[in-house]
Amino acid sequence: MVQRVVDWLDERIDLSGIRHFIAEKGVPIHTQEVWYYLGGMTMFLFGVQVFTGILLLLYYRPSSAEAYESVQFIVTQVEFGWLIRNVHSWSANLLIALAFAHFFSVFFLKSYRKPRELTWLTGILLLFLMLGFGFSGYLLPWNELSFFATKVGTGIAGAVPLIGPFTLRLLRGGDDVTGATLSRFYGLHVAILPAITTALVLAHLLLVQRQGMSVPLSIERREKAGERLPQMKFFPNYILRDVLAWYVVLAVVAALAAFYPWELGKKADPFAVVPPGIRPEWYFLAMFHTLKLVPSHVLGFEGEHLGVVAFGLVALFLVLVPFLDRRASRGERSPVFTVLAALGLVYLVVFTIIGHYAK
Amino acid sequence: MAPVEFNRRGFLDALLAVGFVSTAVAIAYPVSRFLIPPASGEPATASAGAGKAAALKRSSARIFKFGSRPGIVVRTADGDVRAFSAVCTHLDCTVAFKPDTAQLWCACHNGTYDLGGNVVSGPPPRALEKFVVNLRGEPGDEEIVVTRG
Amino acid sequence: MFQITRHYLLVLAAMALFAPSGAVAQPAQPAQTANTCLTCHATLTDTRLATPATLFSGTDVHRERGFACADCHGGDPATGDKARAHDAARGFKGVPTGQAQIATCARCHSDATLMRRFAPKQRVDQATEYATSVHGKQLAAGHGNVATCASCHGPHGIRRVSDAKSPVFPTNVAATCATCHADPRHMAEYKLASGAALPTNQFADYQKSVHSAALNTGNDLSAPTCNDCHGNHGATPPGVGAIANVCGTCHAVFAQKFDTSVHKQIFDKGCVECHGNHAVLKPSDAMLGVTGKGICAPCHTAEDKGDKGAAAAETMRTQFEQLQAGIDQSHALIGRVKNAGIEVSDQELALREATTKLTLARTEMHGFEPTLVAPIIADGTKIVTAVDAAGEKGVGELRFRRRGLAISLGAILLLVVALGLKVRQIDRRSHP
Repeated sequence: MVQRVVDWLDERIDLSGIRHFIAEKGVPIHTQEVWYYLGGMTMFLFGVQVFTGILLLLYYRPSSAEAYESVQFIVTQVEFGWLIRNVHSWSANLLIALAFAHFFSVFFLKSYRKPRELTWLTGILLLFLMLGFGFSGYLLPWNELSFFATKVGTGIAGAVPLIGPFTLRLLRGGDDVTGATLSRFYGLHVAILPAITTALVLAHLLLVQRQGMSVPLSIERREKAGERLPQMKFFPNYILRDVLAWYVVLAVVAALAAFYPWELGKKADPFAVVPPGIRPEWYFLAMFHTLKLVPSHVLGFEGEHLGVVAFGLVALFLVLVPFLDRRASRGERSPVFTVLAALGLVYLVVFTIIGHYAK
Repeated sequence: MAPVEFNRRGFLDALLAVGFVSTAVAIAYPVSRFLIPPASGEPATASAGAGKAAALKRSSARIFKFGSRPGIVVRTADGDVRAFSAVCTHLDCTVAFKPDTAQLWCACHNGTYDLGGNVVSGPPPRALEKFVVNLRGEPGDEEIVVTRG
Repeated sequence: MFQITRHYLLVLAAMALFAPSGAVAQPAQPAQTANTCLTCHATLTDTRLATPATLFSGTDVHRERGFACADCHGGDPATGDKARAHDAARGFKGVPTGQAQIATCARCHSDATLMRRFAPKQRVDQATEYATSVHGKQLAAGHGNVATCASCHGPHGIRRVSDAKSPVFPTNVAATCATCHADPRHMAEYKLASGAALPTNQFADYQKSVHSAALNTGNDLSAPTCNDCHGNHGATPPGVGAIANVCGTCHAVFAQKFDTSVHKQIFDKGCVECHGNHAVLKPSDAMLGVTGKGICAPCHTAEDKGDKGAAAAETMRTQFEQLQAGIDQSHALIGRVKNAGIEVSDQELALREATTKLTLARTEMHGFEPTLVAPIIADGTKIVTAVDAAGEKGVGELRFRRRGLAISLGAILLLVVALGLKVRQIDRRSHP
C-alpha cells in the first residue's frame, strides 16, 4: 500500500535522490554513539511543544483579565485540557534539559570543530531561543509565581549597562510588568520565536544531513590512519533507535505529568507584595543565584552590572568556540576546552542545586 | 530454524503494530476530545448565562451563577429585566427578591435594596454591583446573558 | 457747645436714617450692607475680639445668607463709633450665653415661617428638644457650664452639618462631645444620681468600637456616633428598657429576636449587658458560654446542673464553632482541588450559602432559644457535608487522571521494550 503511494509520487517528482540517500546513508558505530540521539530527542520535544502549544492556543486568552481564567478553563472544563497543559509544561522543562545535554555532549566531543562550525552556530542560537521560549511561556498562565519571576527576570535584563533600561522597557512593554508585557510575551512565544526557531532548525538539520554525524577525535584519527569504521544503516536501523528514544522521552513526560501534575497557582496581583523566596525556574537558577552572590559593588562598578556583562561575555564565548578552538579544528586533542566544558557543567549543576536550596 | 524465527518475527511485528496503534490512539483520542468545544462555552469572567427569558415571569427573580459568585436576575412589574450581583455588600450573604415590596432583601441583617441596586435601608454600605443584560437566541426562546458593566 | 449740638444733630440724622435696624423686638431681617463691626473688630489686636470677625468673614452659613453680626448681637452696624455701635439702646447684647444664647438662636430657628424662606425642610423644634435634654435641664437649674448651641455648632464660622469641617459632621461629633465629656475637670461638678462622679472614658471607649471604625475608616456615614443613640438637641442617655429600641433602629433583626427572648425582662441594660455601650467591639462565637471567654458566666454557671441557660449557651457556641470549622475545612479542600485543576464553582457557591446559614444562626441566637438555632445550623452542616463530598469526588477525579496516565505510561514502556527487541532483530539481520 505504502509502496503504491511511493511509486505514484516517484513517477511525478523523481524520488530517486531521496531513495539513494536513504539507502546509502550510514551512521558511525562507536562507544560514544549514544550521544547522537540527544539532538533528535530535543527536536521531538520541540515538535510536542508546537503541537500542544497550538492546541492550547485554541482556548488561551492573552489578556491580564482573562489569561489565568482561560488556563483554569482549559484545565477544568475542556476535556483532557489538563493533559495537554501538563504535557506542554513538563515537555518544556524536559526540552530545555535535553537541549543542554545535547549542547554539553557536543561541547565535550568537540563536534563543533571544522567543518561543522555553522551547525554549532545555529545550535547555540537554538539553545538561547529555547531559553527565550521558557522565559516567555512561563508568564502566560499569569499566576503569582510567574508574574514575580518575570518581574525579577526582566529587572535583571534591565541591569545590563547602557542598553539595559531600553531593553527592560522593550521586554516589559512599559516600565512595569502589566498586561502589555503579557501581550508581548505571547507574541514572542507563539509567533516570533517559533518563526526564527523553525528557520534555524531547518538549517541545523540540513547541515547535519549534508555533513553526516561527527565522530570523536580519537575515532577520527583512526579513520584518517586508514581504518574502516563500522557503520549502521540510517534507515531502518538508526531511525528505529531514534524512534525508540522518542518513545522513552514520551514515557518520561507521561510519568512526570502523572505524578507531578502542574498546579494553577494564585492569580497574579500586580499590587501584592512580592512573596518571599521568589525565584525563576530551574534553568535560570544558576544565573540568578550567581547574581545574588556577586557583591553589590566591585572595583567601583555595580555588582549586578558586572554579573550581567559577565554572562554576556560567556554567551559570546560560546558562540565563538569553534573559531577559538584551533587545536580541535586541526584534529588535535584540546584539553583546555575539555576542562572549560567540565567547569561549565560543574558550575551549572552546583549553582542550580545551591540556588534551589538557598533561602 | 526458519519457522520459529518467522513466528517470532511475525509476533514482534504484530506487537509493534499494536503498540504503535494504541499509543497513536492514546494521543489522538484526547486531542480530538480536546478540540470539541465544552458545554460551558467560555471562561465565565466577563459573562454568564442566566437561564431562559420566557421562564422569568414578571415580579419574580432567579439566582444564577456568575463565575463562583451568585447573581440575581429580576423581571420588574413592567417587564424590564435587570441583573445584579447577589452578594450583599454588608457581610456577603445572598440577597433575595421580595415581590410584595419589589425590593431586594438580605435575610441576614435586614438590608434592603431597590431595583436599581441602591441601598434603601439597613446595614449595607454600598449598592449592589449592577450587570448588563442582553438577550440572545431565537425570538421566543431567548436566553438571558449577563455581562459585567 | 456748638460742637455738642453738631454731634447731636449727626446722631439724630443717623437715627432717622437707620432707625428700623438694630431693634430687638422686631422679627429679624438680614442687615443692610453696612457692617462696621467686622471692619473694626478685624483690626483689633486682642484675639478674643478679632477671631469672631475672622471666622465670620470666612465660611459661615449665616453670612452667606445675608445675616450679619448685629442680627445676633444687636447694636448699630452702620457707625464707626464704638460707643454708638455697642449702644444697648440700639439693642446691643454683648456675648449671649446660657439661656440668652438659646433664645438668640431660637428667635430665628424656632420660627417656622422664617425658616421656610431659607431652609424649608429644616426642623424648628431644636430649642424645645433642648429643654428636655440633660444639658437643657441643668441649664434651667442654674448650672451654666453645659453645652449650648454655640458649644457644638460654633458661634462664628458656622458650617452646615453636611460640611465635612463642621464640628457636628458625623465623623467630628464624638470629638466635639469629648471636649467637655472627656475632661475630668469640666465634668467634676456634675454627679450621677447615685452621687458617683460622671465617667469621662466614653470617647476613648467609643474609639475602640466597630461603630467608630465603620464611620472613620469604613466611610460608612450611617454608622452611629454620640447623637445617633443619645439624640441631637435632646441629648440624654437612653433609659432602661429603651436601649434595645435604640440599638434596634439599625440592628432591627437582633432587636426583634431579643424582644422574644427571656433576657428582655431580665436585662436592665438590654444589648449593653453583653455588647457594652461605647466600646462596642466585634463580637465572636467565643463570647457565648460559661467557659473560656464566655460572658454568660457571671449570671449562669456551669456547675449548676439545673441551669438551662449555661447548657444552651455552651451548646450553641459548640454548634457555631463546629460549623465555622467545617466551612473552613471545606474551603481548604475545595481550594486544593481547584488549584489542581478541577471545576468547583458550584461548590464555592454552596459554601457561601453555608456561611449565610452561619450568619443567620448567629442572628437567631439573640432569641436565646437553642431549638430555633439548631435547624439553621443543621442546614449549614448539610451544605458543608455535600461540599466535602464533592471535594472528595474531585480528589477522586485527580486520582483517576493519574491512574489513566500511569496506564498509558505502561503502554508506552511496553512499546519501548518491543522497539528495543525489534532493533536487536534488525541489527542481527543486517550484521549477522
